[in-house]
Amino acid sequence: MLPPEKDAELRQKIANGFIVETEEDMTPGYKAALEVILTVQGDTELVSAPAYYFASKDAPTINSRLAVYAIIQDELGHANIAYRLLEDLGVSKQWLMYGRAPHEFKHPYGFDQALENWAEMVVANGFFDRAGITLLSDVHKNCSYGPWQRALTKVDREEVLHLRHGESWMKRLAKAGGAAKEALQRAVDWMFPVTLEWFGLPDHLKKHNDQLEYRLKGLTNDQLRQVWMSATVPLCESIGIRVPAHFDSDKKEYHIDYEFPVEYDAKEKRWLFDQPITWQQVFQRWKQRGPMNQTYINMIQGEKNGAFGGLNW
Amino acid sequence: MLLILCMNTMIENAKIWQALGEVMDPELPISILDMGLIYDVRTNQQNVEIDLTFTAIACPAMTMIIDDVREKLEALPGVSSAQVNVVWNPPWTKARLTMQGREVLQSLGIAV
Repeated sequence: MLPPEKDAELRQKIANGFIVETEEDMTPGYKAALEVILTVQGDTELVSAPAYYFASKDAPTINSRLAVYAIIQDELGHANIAYRLLEDLGVSKQWLMYGRAPHEFKHPYGFDQALENWAEMVVANGFFDRAGITLLSDVHKNCSYGPWQRALTKVDREEVLHLRHGESWMKRLAKAGGAAKEALQRAVDWMFPVTLEWFGLPDHLKKHNDQLEYRLKGLTNDQLRQVWMSATVPLCESIGIRVPAHFDSDKKEYHIDYEFPVEYDAKEKRWLFDQPITWQQVFQRWKQRGPMNQTYINMIQGEKNGAFGGLNW
Repeated sequence: MLLILCMNTMIENAKIWQALGEVMDPELPISILDMGLIYDVRTNQQNVEIDLTFTAIACPAMTMIIDDVREKLEALPGVSSAQVNVVWNPPWTKARLTMQGREVLQSLGIAV
């Protein structure tokens, strides 16, 4: 590994297009930032599996349930890729999977919520997987860490399938009208804002950004949020589903129609749009984790009295 | 007269095979024709009927592929309806991949 004082030099090299391949190319700062972003990716993929599993029980047909199982299998594979890359950096996969308490996992808050019906399942595919693609295709295009960049070719292709599954079902539920469309609207009502938060602190509040300076990713939080909205807002508008955002044709960007961020009632899965909060409060909520955090991680870790009966199998 | 009718049917068939060659697997950059999923194409006036299989009975992309096939065929001039029959006999094997399909899959690191 390079000594810490080489950090500025490494950043410069990366800015000129240098691709980091092994630990010898890294400074401690680079390695630490890489470990964080890889852990976030791996954990997000991993925890989507139990979340999707519960929701799959409400699938309308055997084939649609099988489609979710295939998605779950893909997601576990993606987690394995991220953890495998972390293993090369000396982090134990065993520890990543089994050595951490539920609150120590680094997936976004949206995946700490219960997905309780088919509408929420397909909106998760349409919104959460869209967020995943937005983040990962940026990494795939711009990332300075070669092994991760290359590993994402397969991941990206599979995520596109998940996304399509979500979007085509969202269209179908909207077209069906009645109770199906109402359930879709209810899902969108809490899942749209939760995904907006997912992209994190707005650029004007962010003081320093290792992930950008080491070019682990290429776009800023606000840019990524715009990319995500540029797909999800027109989709919802085209199927008659309301979202709290619109395209501002003067500014040529998407605008959030409430004072972002706001208070969230996790129990009711309801956003209190008239109660703006600070990002410090958002981070606090994230840190406390959401209602399903324990259950999902117990399922994965096979906790003895957990949902899957642990070693009692 | 009879000969002309036959010619017409032949042209339609060719167009349909061509259209099917443009329907892509939702996950991989390979057409369903190169995957060897199409078993038969029949036309009757303006109606098209396709026998199609999948690589596995638990294929997660079944609905997407069927939707894509129907949409593609119904957009063809002279086609008023397209029916897709899912068939499992004979079962799909890798031997049904075309040479081009093989090359695409290999280039993605998939063993064939």
